[in-house]
Amino acid sequence: MISNEVVRHLQAILPPHSLLLAREDLKPFETDGLTAFRNTPDVVALPETEEQVKQLLAICRETGTPVVFRGAGTGVSGGALPVDGAVLLAMTKFNRILDIDPLARTARVQPGVRNLAISEAAAAYGLYYAPDPSSQIACTIGGNVAENSGGVHCLKYGLTVHNVLSIRVLTIDGEEMVIGSEALDSPGYDLLALMTGSEGMLAVTLEISVKLLPKPERTQVLLAAFDDVEKAGSAVGAIISGGVLPAGLEMMDKLAIEAAEAYAGAGYPLDAMAILLVEVDGTQEEVSEDVMRVRDVLLASGATEVRTARDEAEQKKFWAGRKAAFPAVGRLAPDYYCMDGTIPRKALPAVLKRITELSAEYALPVANVFHAGDGNLHPLILYDANQPDAWEKAERLGADILELCVEHGGTITGEHGVGVEKINQMCVQFGAPELLAFHGVKACFDENALLNPGKAVPTLHRCAEYGAMHVAGGKLPFPELPRF
Amino acid sequence: MQEIIDRIHAAESPLIIRGGGTKNWHGEDTKGEVLDVSSNTGIVSYEPGELVLTARCGTPLAEIEALLAQHRQMLAFEPPHFGSGSTLGGTLACGFSGPRRPYAGSARDFVLGIDVLDGNGQLLKFGGQVIKNVAGYDVSRLMVGALGTLGVLMQASLKVLPKPQSEMTLQFECGEAEALQRMNEWAGKPLPLSASAWLSGVLTIRLSGAESTVQAAHAKLGGEIHDRGAEFWKGLRDHTAAFFQDDVPLWRLSLPSTTPSLNLRGKHFINWGGAERWLKSDASASEIRARAAAHGGHATLHSGDKSADVFHPLPDALMKYHRRLKQQFDPRGILNVGRMYSAF
Amino acid sequence: MQTKLSESFRNTPEGQEADRILRACVHCGFCLATCPTYQVLGDELDSPRGRIYLMKQMLEGAAITSKTLKHLDRCLTCRNCETTCPSGVQYGHLIDIGRKIAEQSVNRPLAEKLQRKTLAKFLPQQKLFGGMMRLGRMAKPFLPASLGSKISSATAISKPSHSITQPARKMLVLAGCVQPALAPQINVAATRVLDAIGISLFEAANAGCCGAVSFHLNFQEDGLDAMRRNIDAWWPHIEAGAEAIVMTASGCGVTVKEYGHYLKNDPAYAEKAARVSELTRDLSEILLQEETALRTWLQKRGPGEAKRISFHSPCTLQHGQKITGVVEALLTVAGHTLHPVSETNLCCGSAGTYSLLEPEISTQLRDRKLGHLSQPSPDIIATANIGCLNHLQSGTNTPVRHWVELL
Ligand SMILES: Cc1cc2nc3c(=O)[nH]c(=O)nc-3n(C[C@H](O)[C@H](O)[C@H](O)COP(=O)(O)OP(=O)(O)OC[C@H]3O[C@@H](n4cnc5c(N)ncnc54)[C@H](O)[C@@H]3O)c2cc1C
Ligand code: SF4
Ligand code: SF4
Repeated sequence: MISNEVVRHLQAILPPHSLLLAREDLKPFETDGLTAFRNTPDVVALPETEEQVKQLLAICRETGTPVVFRGAGTGVSGGALPVDGAVLLAMTKFNRILDIDPLARTARVQPGVRNLAISEAAAAYGLYYAPDPSSQIACTIGGNVAENSGGVHCLKYGLTVHNVLSIRVLTIDGEEMVIGSEALDSPGYDLLALMTGSEGMLAVTLEISVKLLPKPERTQVLLAAFDDVEKAGSAVGAIISGGVLPAGLEMMDKLAIEAAEAYAGAGYPLDAMAILLVEVDGTQEEVSEDVMRVRDVLLASGATEVRTARDEAEQKKFWAGRKAAFPAVGRLAPDYYCMDGTIPRKALPAVLKRITELSAEYALPVANVFHAGDGNLHPLILYDANQPDAWEKAERLGADILELCVEHGGTITGEHGVGVEKINQMCVQFGAPELLAFHGVKACFDENALLNPGKAVPTLHRCAEYGAMHVAGGKLPFPELPRF
Repeated sequence: MQEIIDRIHAAESPLIIRGGGTKNWHGEDTKGEVLDVSSNTGIVSYEPGELVLTARCGTPLAEIEALLAQHRQMLAFEPPHFGSGSTLGGTLACGFSGPRRPYAGSARDFVLGIDVLDGNGQLLKFGGQVIKNVAGYDVSRLMVGALGTLGVLMQASLKVLPKPQSEMTLQFECGEAEALQRMNEWAGKPLPLSASAWLSGVLTIRLSGAESTVQAAHAKLGGEIHDRGAEFWKGLRDHTAAFFQDDVPLWRLSLPSTTPSLNLRGKHFINWGGAERWLKSDASASEIRARAAAHGGHATLHSGDKSADVFHPLPDALMKYHRRLKQQFDPRGILNVGRMYSAF
Repeated sequence: MQTKLSESFRNTPEGQEADRILRACVHCGFCLATCPTYQVLGDELDSPRGRIYLMKQMLEGAAITSKTLKHLDRCLTCRNCETTCPSGVQYGHLIDIGRKIAEQSVNRPLAEKLQRKTLAKFLPQQKLFGGMMRLGRMAKPFLPASLGSKISSATAISKPSHSITQPARKMLVLAGCVQPALAPQINVAATRVLDAIGISLFEAANAGCCGAVSFHLNFQEDGLDAMRRNIDAWWPHIEAGAEAIVMTASGCGVTVKEYGHYLKNDPAYAEKAARVSELTRDLSEILLQEETALRTWLQKRGPGEAKRISFHSPCTLQHGQKITGVVEALLTVAGHTLHPVSETNLCCGSAGTYSLLEPEISTQLRDRKLGHLSQPSPDIIATANIGCLNHLQSGTNTPVRHWVELL
């Protein structure tokens, strides 16, 4: 619990509407996009000025009070999950686009600006912000930087880390720094890369400059239907080996198609076992050539049908269905648990097959919808949290899927972050020396571990426990590690 | 590898990490014993269909590029070689990228994972071989451009890209201001630009992509075709062009691409669509730095009298965290000490 | 989402409906992006997801205070969140239930109660409201700006609002409560246009307010009574073969279309209510359906004066009734030019009595909307609901009209 003294300090710097203290007001902040984890915060702060943020961090530093930052709360790894005794600091009132420079192709924004709002504002200049998480309608750019979010256009245009030019941050020590610059590099270490994806554990982001790209002259989206998931998986590798780098290459299986279609009415083939959405972009000529090449590869890979979007409106619908696919599975089951493992593309068919088997073993349906071109899987485990043990079962299935990804040379998280959710799997992904190095990096910026404590990097103690608990025993790096 | 680990363990005073030695001139002068890592070679894995290549860091760049070329792929950040023996490790440690940088991305952008020996000789593996990976802090990218001060780079995985079907270099006569305006305007249009530079009244650009795309862009932009385009860009990339051949100090200014002419004494050429300016000038370091900083950029001394700092001084807050990171990864102060800033 | 409804709600029909809706929410947060109050206030508690959570905890038995009530009051019921929600969460139904329970659990301050009661009892009464408006117009120069701006100037009516030619096809039309007093010309225009394409419109005696005003002010029983009264008024005509019940205000339309839902637990009315809802059409739907006849008439009539129009689609039209693009198409067919408008999905802040109860948020939203509607500046702003019309007009000199007046 936060002491009354800290609350009094906070009351001195924040007006009543920016400081929530009543349980009634706090409960809705107990979770983010991953509702299986919940923890009612002691205090929620909704500052309106940077000065308030500075004073708030100073209070936290001086009183040893932890802080958890929150953007739109769309994270799906529990990054914004409140921590006991912490202030939950929501940055949502910082939602202004400060400046767009069309000639330099940059936008300067506050951290609470929604991802999509940047592209909407830049559209007038024929520009857009490339990383487009499926949650882009709602998620904030501050959250994107903290998670190094990706999207359906990452394969060609990169993740957040590739598209942010600079950030202005405030550390818990009260140091305000501009990291990166509007030039293409800056002196010293690449702290911009280090901060991007640091899950709100190193500093709070106050301002962000992003790079804007010219809208391609033309884009075209192909939709290919398959009667077999593995065939669709193989087609992904074939397209890229064929020398085309699609702007987006996404896959959905039957369950996901059903759910997304019910929301978007995109005209997806409901009888297909899997569909691929392939977007190619570039100049008129390039797109025409690539469409032909991709179509040939798809047909050669066993597609039962290949369609191209009739017009921009249909392209938009194709994507709208895909982008809404996670929440749309809410139509099939009350809850879903989203995985984020990434694997080498060549392992797609094998991993997909194994996921199907695991789904049967656990008797839990799994809908697959993912960034196939990046090898970034999003198996959605469907369950009903009102049923006893359902979550525990879903969690175990999830852990199996992530460890399957590591086994195939992949990683436990491609874009959603570790948060609280994949913290045990970090023990599978990394050895003790790397984990210690991560703790070391954290200590460089936040000696007393006040920012989002307990997230993203497990203690070795925790890994030892997880190793001991885990049946896979010997394969894990820590089975024998003593507790300390 | 064991040999390198033993050397680190045994070291009681700073070591100078050396790969091909082609960039010995870069950074502050340092003292210490040389730790030669050039024998740590070999391409560990390369699967064209995955667009990923993993190699030990002593592997010559030339070898990597030759293998990629066989499969019509490339390192899209177009790393400078600065000599025949340059290695992957040295390239990443310096974080150098070539003319394609503003359009394709920098060296760090293509790094997927790095194995590194820290100052205690401990092997740490960060990142991996997949395109996306956000597990843990992004330490592999932190290593890029750290000049070996945080660890000895042992092995790296890179994202590679298909080579464009065709390339064309075009030239336009125009003044500096107009060149800057055009470079920035064109970069905001859907054109297949892959390099742009301005030097003594001539704007040179490169188009890359499908044959038809390049042709169409040429038709739109006009300009004279440069028949030895590849050579031109290589000359700029590796500093073999005539511009670089004198004893006047060489400065690299990294600036927002729309920065107008800096009007500094000496000759200069503009690269990276305006974002990189090379300056041959005997103006004082403080004057050059002040001018760069006023426009939101920074200046690095590439050759010349190093009595002034090579790298742009850091604000105190940033310096504080640099020191802490150095302390974290190299607590005994063994690796390339002082190569970046004399403070660490 | 996981739910644990408290004993007192677990077995009530309302509780069960609420539970079903709550569980459909997967807490993805997409709806935050399009919620007008969240856009303005940036506080999750003033977002759909936050309100859903507030209602969830209330239904799970947590004690609530005026805080929860305040956040529920602040909701415009624009249902933009429903359009956005990929998971199909029926927020509109949930908030009806939530408001009712919150109203019962929390004691409102007396002044608020009085204000709401006055509005709930007074607005729905056509005659009373009409009389007050006439008085108000005379008194306008002496009223404070916030009130005065809501009183529009009188429009001269030259034609009766019942059909002149009496074509064979017959449809009922709802007069509504405030519309006859504020803008009687709307139904006159609707009658004229439908006349021209062979449909005769008529009002049923005794039909009046659709019930929305009282219902959304949480006098839900009064609202339901109004619905029953309308059903009774319409029923004989329906039995006599009226083809449809036409709505010229989308705010009423969305309500009447849901009579079936509201009265589903009333055995005496459930069936009739469902039938009424089934027959209810927005005027634009009728004209879309009769497009050929409309085109023929327009051709015969010859081109009218072409205007540059910015169209504001009321939330009750686009989110409530999910009708998009139709009015725009009709206006284009009639020869007008439509300006592109940004943030078309956002509420103008009128939202029934909201503009009177939450003037601050309402005015911010109105000005934001007017900003979008006047870039570039149009000859006329068109809309489809009397509430929006009046509200928008209070902030601009550009004339705001119901679209049917422009056909
Ligand atoms: C349906 C759905 C689809 C999704 N699709 C994708 C996808 O395609 N790709 C993808 O990458 N992600 C996706 N996500 C995940 C999520 O949207 C992203 O992680 C997003 O970046 C989170 O942004 P947010 O504003 O909601 O942040 P939050 O969830 O509020 O917070 C996320 C993290 O950021 C930190 N944080 C937030 N603001 C700041 C700040 N100003 N300074 C410092 N730290 C801060 C928080 O502490 C937390 O650790 C999806 C989520 C959902 C629900
Ligand atoms: S969009 Fe739908 S599922 Fe998502 S939080 Fe809002 S109501 Fe819930
Ligand atoms: S109905 Fe409108 S105001 Fe109410 S929560 Fe939904 S979007 Fe927000």
